[in-house]
Amino acid sequence: MSGRRVLAVARRIAEGFRRDRRSLALLILAPLVVVALLGWVLRDQKQGSVEILIVNDAGPLGDRIVAALQAGASEANDGTTVGAAASKDAAVDSLRSGQADLALVIPSSLQADVTSGTSPVLTVITEGTDPAAESGAFASLQGLLRTVAANLVPAGAGAPVVPTVQRETVYLSPDADQLDVLAPVFLGLFAYFFVFILTGISFLRERVGGTLERLLATPVTRAEIVVGYAIGFSAFATIQVIVLTAYILGRLDVPTIGPIGAFTIGLNVPSAGSPAITFFVAFLMAVGAVNLGIFLSTFARTEFQILQFIPIVIVPQGLLGGIFWPVDRLPDILQAIAHVLPVTYAVEALREVMLKGSDLGSPVVQTDLLVLGGIAILFVVLGALTIKREVA
Amino acid sequence: MSIGPLPTTLSPAGARPLPVEGAGGPAVEAVGLRKAFGVIQAVDGIDLALAPGRIYGLLGPNGAGKTTLIRLLAGLARPTAGEARLLGTRMPDRRNLGRLGYMPQSEALYPDLSVGENIGFFATLQGARGEGAIDRALALVELGERRGAPVLELSGGMRRRLSLAISIVHEPPVLFLDEPTVGVDPALRVQFWTHFRKLADAGTTILVASHVMDEADRCDELLFIRSGKVLARGSGTELRATAGTDNLETAFLRFSGLDDQGRPVQPSGAAPAADTTGGPG
Repeated sequence: MSGRRVLAVARRIAEGFRRDRRSLALLILAPLVVVALLGWVLRDQKQGSVEILIVNDAGPLGDRIVAALQAGASEANDGTTVGAAASKDAAVDSLRSGQADLALVIPSSLQADVTSGTSPVLTVITEGTDPAAESGAFASLQGLLRTVAANLVPAGAGAPVVPTVQRETVYLSPDADQLDVLAPVFLGLFAYFFVFILTGISFLRERVGGTLERLLATPVTRAEIVVGYAIGFSAFATIQVIVLTAYILGRLDVPTIGPIGAFTIGLNVPSAGSPAITFFVAFLMAVGAVNLGIFLSTFARTEFQILQFIPIVIVPQGLLGGIFWPVDRLPDILQAIAHVLPVTYAVEALREVMLKGSDLGSPVVQTDLLVLGGIAILFVVLGALTIKREVA
Repeated sequence: MSIGPLPTTLSPAGARPLPVEGAGGPAVEAVGLRKAFGVIQAVDGIDLALAPGRIYGLLGPNGAGKTTLIRLLAGLARPTAGEARLLGTRMPDRRNLGRLGYMPQSEALYPDLSVGENIGFFATLQGARGEGAIDRALALVELGERRGAPVLELSGGMRRRLSLAISIVHEPPVLFLDEPTVGVDPALRVQFWTHFRKLADAGTTILVASHVMDEADRCDELLFIRSGKVLARGSGTELRATAGTDNLETAFLRFSGLDDQGRPVQPSGAAPAADTTGGPG
């Protein structure tokens, strides 16, 4: 292997990028935009105002419950309002028209139930089309009901002793939000996704445009081409990973300048472990993606076909790689698939490092890095093998 | 008009390569070279011996097998049977590639890169020495002024010229040019051929594939190729004389067993020249 030729190939990639600003922007800015959006959505979600309608069929006893709920809502002051509806049908109409989020029906049998010692059944009605939002509304109702007990105590009697639950966590803090947990894994996935698309298309052009043929008529070896590609693209992938890691972990407060108000750049996600290892994991992913791109470009004839690999190559990794659902809860067959996907190992390693603060001494991190390195090398070999195959 | 069977003495296609004068032996050789794509015989038993310092023209219609033959000789494809030798070494052999200049039919340039970056990149891989070689190659194709321009901004003819400059920048002893003058204006085309001649005089072996017959007379020797077989070989003058015409195109048609309008010659049982040697090997 000639270092001069490898460097020539790597430099060729860099020179191409210098002129192709759009691809460079895609590589660096696109992941930033996506992560920034994600951070914004997850961090700055509006406190949802929940409109609760109560249908009281239980007379004066029900009225006391309604009053207690209203008192609780105004105490909590979190945007939850408690109103009344004349009948169940009226409440359902309000739910249908979107005026209310949730209806609570207090049964007429309440008084009798309480007297006979039977547990009364309250019915909660929701619209039913958006389980996630409705479970949020349901949670605020449950929160309110907890306060009702205290408000229902007759004046003069001692308040019941309800223990306060205090939460602690082994890793992170109890206040950690979804972003803190998701950011590390998105770092790994994006490093993969954008690099894969760029190298795939770039190498496809090499095959289709005839330059690969010209290359193969020179003394350059297949290994030199693939390694040169890996170095050239990895250099840019490195910049991408550095920028993205800095954006996710860092925080830069920009003070008010003239008409522009103060703002903050960076998500300031806490990382328990070393940013260097975080970077290294993402870097290994990117190198693997370079060679995967070269490998898969064999099976495409047009750039459009490279994009068609996204649902086959990228989406399953997003679904099965442990980003949204833990790998060990997947069905057996899907678990087996997950264990051959590089993202699975990257996500595991990034979580170990960023969330749990593991370092290179951790056997989990060591295994993950070994597997990722092995996958990167495997794709280097596969990439090199595919180069001459198409030559008829 | 039916011209009947042509004498094959001049051009025994498929016969053993003629001995080449000179100490080094042939620069390029093919022995029983075949390449099949499925049922199609793209190159169907070709024997060649190209002597150093001569310009050979590979003439034939689209799909005749010119490009496949060049790719076999350049080691870009593996023959189904037979062998190709470049400077005495059996191809494909990577070590030999630094001594080969190849101008593919496709553009084969990086559109995002500048003229200088394109030629610099390939010059490094081909083992060309120094900036001087690049300057000379660019000057020859009159692109010295456009060195910093991205290939995207070049016209089709300029791209062809750059492609040629890349294939000769390392001054290889063997040069394969696949349709080098397509899209190049007549004045520059003359300069190209003058330069090809200069290279040949200095010892370079040049094989030029073309379907343009008017360039053929600039070659020392022509190979008529059709359906993967060499129909005839000889100088333009010789081929015209043999075919009994003063038009090379007509000569080609006659060697192909076609009449002057390109229709198969009726019926006569007179086998075209090539068929006398195209039997099973």
